[in-house]
Amino acid sequence: MQEVAQGNLDMLRPLFNRHHKHLYNFVLKMCGDSMLSEDITQDVFYKILKYRASYNNGKFVSWMFTIARNSIATHFKSNKERHADLEQVEHQLANKQIEEKQDYSDLQRALNRLDPSDRELVILNRYQGIKYEEIALITDSTPGAVKTKMSRALKKLKALYFQN
Amino acid sequence: MKDKHIITMLPDYLDNQLDPVQKEAVDKHLETCNNCQKELEAYKRLFDAINKEKKEEVPDRLQLNFEAMLEEEKAKTIKVVPITANNNSKTKASLPYMLKIAAGFALLIASFFLGKYQNEQVSNQTLAQMENEQREIRQMAMLSLMENKSASKRIQGVNYIEELAMPNEIIVKALAERMLYDENTNVRLTAVEALGAFTNSKTVVNAFVTALGIEKDPGIQIVIIHTLVQLQEKKAIAPLQKLLEEEETQPFIKAQIESLLPKIS
Repeated sequence: MQEVAQGNLDMLRPLFNRHHKHLYNFVLKMCGDSMLSEDITQDVFYKILKYRASYNNGKFVSWMFTIARNSIATHFKSNKERHADLEQVEHQLANKQIEEKQDYSDLQRALNRLDPSDRELVILNRYQGIKYEEIALITDSTPGAVKTKMSRALKKLKALYFQN
Repeated sequence: MKDKHIITMLPDYLDNQLDPVQKEAVDKHLETCNNCQKELEAYKRLFDAINKEKKEEVPDRLQLNFEAMLEEEKAKTIKVVPITANNNSKTKASLPYMLKIAAGFALLIASFFLGKYQNEQVSNQTLAQMENEQREIRQMAMLSLMENKSASKRIQGVNYIEELAMPNEIIVKALAERMLYDENTNVRLTAVEALGAFTNSKTVVNAFVTALGIEKDPGIQIVIIHTLVQLQEKKAIAPLQKLLEEEETQPFIKAQIESLLPKIS
């Protein structure tokens, strides 16, 4: 990414190839909407390109997920008329998915019923394999706080998962 | 160690993220605690489920869009690079564009004023033409009025001179003619007064001198005498002396001439 920041834009291609699938899946798990996930993934890489100069030499993945989080938040903020807030959307989503049982696994349903911040942690850690330290960077928190929150989130998820 | 504390460590235990001391403690606890074994089993199943979840396939167009975006950005950057290479300053880079825009505006304004100027010229020309035409019409009206049979119309015609700022030779001659030869005293007097405003014209002065020789009306004589004395016109001396000698000249005219004559010479 350092090279991209210095103007070698072609260096972004391997980064995109390596990470865009993870990013897409992260967004998809977060919002459950494949079209929206596509848009946000696109948007994230657009922002990376646009703001390449502001890259601060941290880990690229952390930076990418930070941008992605902001993009998701911005998206749901700007659609507030349609969706009161992220949590409510997720709630609606969860209900909808319960109706369409075949489309989603028990796990996804349980995941959808978590708080967005908890869900985010679980996805980042368990699906994307991102360590606490990095998650702390992405979510602007401390590794200790992330660890505590993570164990609570997993506990909740476990409870929800085995409820059915 | 309490169950609660162990339970929070179970995910990390499964991930092999605990340090040896913690790991040993958990192992030891699990041997004796049924509850925690169940918990561990539950986490295992949960994580297995998570790991089994297929990653969604990403639509190809995402890749295509990315390539398009990258090319676009590269094209933009290529444009910027040679300019930034100049001085590495964004404001300076945008200067040529600013100049171009400014030039565009200048061109627009210039052409606007050019068009306006041309328009003004044309309208000035037409205005001048119209004024000229009006002048000619007035002049004609004046001339024809001065030829009218009615004395009052002729006076009106003579008075038209006030509306002609710069009377031409034709008008002056016509007025002089009125002054010299009109049968009506009032017309002649009006003509004298009208011509009094143009004494810087030689024709007018000569006409006055001539009029002095032939004018019989004492009122008009007085006006002419005063005008010529004011002008210090030497040519007037001879006709004035002639008037003094003539018998039919009114006594008060003679008295006027006698008093004014020394002022000329």
